[in-house]
Amino acid sequence: MANSNTVSDREHVQATQELSKAVANKIRYLQTLATAIDNKDDRLVYQLIDGDRYSEQIVQAKHGSADTDNENLVSDIAAKLGQYLSANLLAYLAETYPFFYFEQIGLGKFQFYFGNWWDRRLFGELDVIKVQFIFDSTEYEKLRRAFELEGQSKRLNSDKISMLSSQADQLQALIDSQEQRDTEKEKTRLQLKKLAQEKVMPWEASKAKEAKQQLVNQLSNLTEQDEKAQDAYRLIKDNEKKVLELSKEDTLIGYEKQSIIAKFGSFDAFEARCESLYRDYIADLIATNGRKNTNE
Amino acid sequence: MSREYEKPTEVFKPHNSADVEPTENATTLSTSGRLISYNDQLKDSLENGYNFTKLLDQLITTTSTNELFEAAQALSTYQLDTAYLTFPQQYSQSDFYLIFINRLLALHDRERVILQSSDRYNELYHEFPGINSAGYFIFKLENTVQGGAYYTEKTTGEALFYLNFEKHVLRFNSRAVTQLLLVEYHEKISQDAIKGFENYLLDIGNFLKEDYGFDVDFTLLDPSNSAVYQLADPNLPNSIIDRLFVEAANGGRMLELGENSSPILKLDSGTVIELFEQHNYEDDIDLGWGIKVYDQQHKIGWFDVLLRYEFLRSWYLENLNTLEIQSDALYFN
Repeated sequence: MANSNTVSDREHVQATQELSKAVANKIRYLQTLATAIDNKDDRLVYQLIDGDRYSEQIVQAKHGSADTDNENLVSDIAAKLGQYLSANLLAYLAETYPFFYFEQIGLGKFQFYFGNWWDRRLFGELDVIKVQFIFDSTEYEKLRRAFELEGQSKRLNSDKISMLSSQADQLQALIDSQEQRDTEKEKTRLQLKKLAQEKVMPWEASKAKEAKQQLVNQLSNLTEQDEKAQDAYRLIKDNEKKVLELSKEDTLIGYEKQSIIAKFGSFDAFEARCESLYRDYIADLIATNGRKNTNE
Repeated sequence: MSREYEKPTEVFKPHNSADVEPTENATTLSTSGRLISYNDQLKDSLENGYNFTKLLDQLITTTSTNELFEAAQALSTYQLDTAYLTFPQQYSQSDFYLIFINRLLALHDRERVILQSSDRYNELYHEFPGINSAGYFIFKLENTVQGGAYYTEKTTGEALFYLNFEKHVLRFNSRAVTQLLLVEYHEKISQDAIKGFENYLLDIGNFLKEDYGFDVDFTLLDPSNSAVYQLADPNLPNSIIDRLFVEAANGGRMLELGENSSPILKLDSGTVIELFEQHNYEDDIDLGWGIKVYDQQHKIGWFDVLLRYEFLRSWYLENLNTLEIQSDALYFN
């Protein structure tokens, strides 16, 4: 009993020391973070909260100084960290991406619009902790596609619009030809009437029946077109609405393309810059001494 | 005797006898009494005529804006004829409005409209240099109790404004101004001439306001930055703004979002148009949509941008049902 007690005592002392060391390590981590925040040293904050990303992107080392366990200590205050870090990041983004307009939607959470024009598109969200855009995939794809179509000197919706326009032309033609159809119907009816009054020899019966059927078909065909024409006005209106929507989208995307070309020269360059955003930002923090001045 | 006497008196009843209001019942008067009464009526009628000539003198020759207004106001309702005396050669009451406008502008050295007289229709009319090939203007009296007169283009019947001396009211009619100046004249008349005519209309409004304290509603002509052009239709569908967005882009302009996210359009030389929804926060009521036009000099109104920018003009006209600027419903419907 006494023996086991001594062993246990020794073990306990060791346990105490280890725990104490572990706690001290955590305190040191948090202390460093607190100091970094006090000093507004955003670069260090980024390094501390996601060491893996930092070493991979900045130091370009495979095995970084990641301190994942300690990083977990602040995972529940990520929103607060995001809110803090957003101030400098948004200032940087306003210079680099002048055409993105950010809007806060929660603590440390931001979404952004492309442009400041009428009915601009909501283009995605900003991950402040990762310094990364999360683009709305549908909207982004439209923009990418529009750049692709540039080679064919087409806009995103050119094909759809020309299809709708030719449809509208057909509908209009259907409306315009009403009078012509009316005359034709009258003529066909007269022919039918004449046919009914004619005496038909037995050996001509099938031929007469055929002729009659042909006229009946023609008449129902014309009536069908009439019905279509009656609906044409509504369809043309619908058509106009769709064309307006599509032209609006083309106009919006046109402005987006102009913005990207003005700032980055090409879509590829824009994509490359988005890809290296984290690296570029940390480099900027170093170069500008943490952008502290812009904050005050 | 009495029968022979009565006969000639009928000559002096040019209108209807109901107009005659003898001070005493004629049948109770003696012959000399009748003569005296008749003579008094003549004197009064001459006095009335003489008064008229004084007022007309005043209207034509005075250099005081107040005297001018006094004369015009009096003449615009003056009954020159009486039961005892009629003047076969007369100007109509509406002619005095025309003369007044010319004189008022002349007193400000801004007379550009020409007062003409038509022998054929026996009336006066206004002709404006540059647009006289397309029509001419007269005043049409409003014969209801409301009074006043409408300044009307004779060939189209478009009434550009309503003027009332008694109530000190001037109201422009946005529909007629649009129809006449932006549709009717668009192909026929040069922009400069239309602009000159617009300035003439603005002069009338400004002088009436400054000289006589008139309450003036310029509607779409108002060049002030604080002017809100109220759209007649309170519900402006987004599709109409979309259309403007697309047409502006085709015209090389961008429809942007201003503060409060209302659409704004920047035009040349610092002119900015804003479309916005008006809301009364006190009573929590939507007041519908309005348009504002800003420029540094307070010289440009909605009409001016419509005149100058073809894409705005066609957008406005194509969607006129929704976009038409409101006029005072009391005078125009």
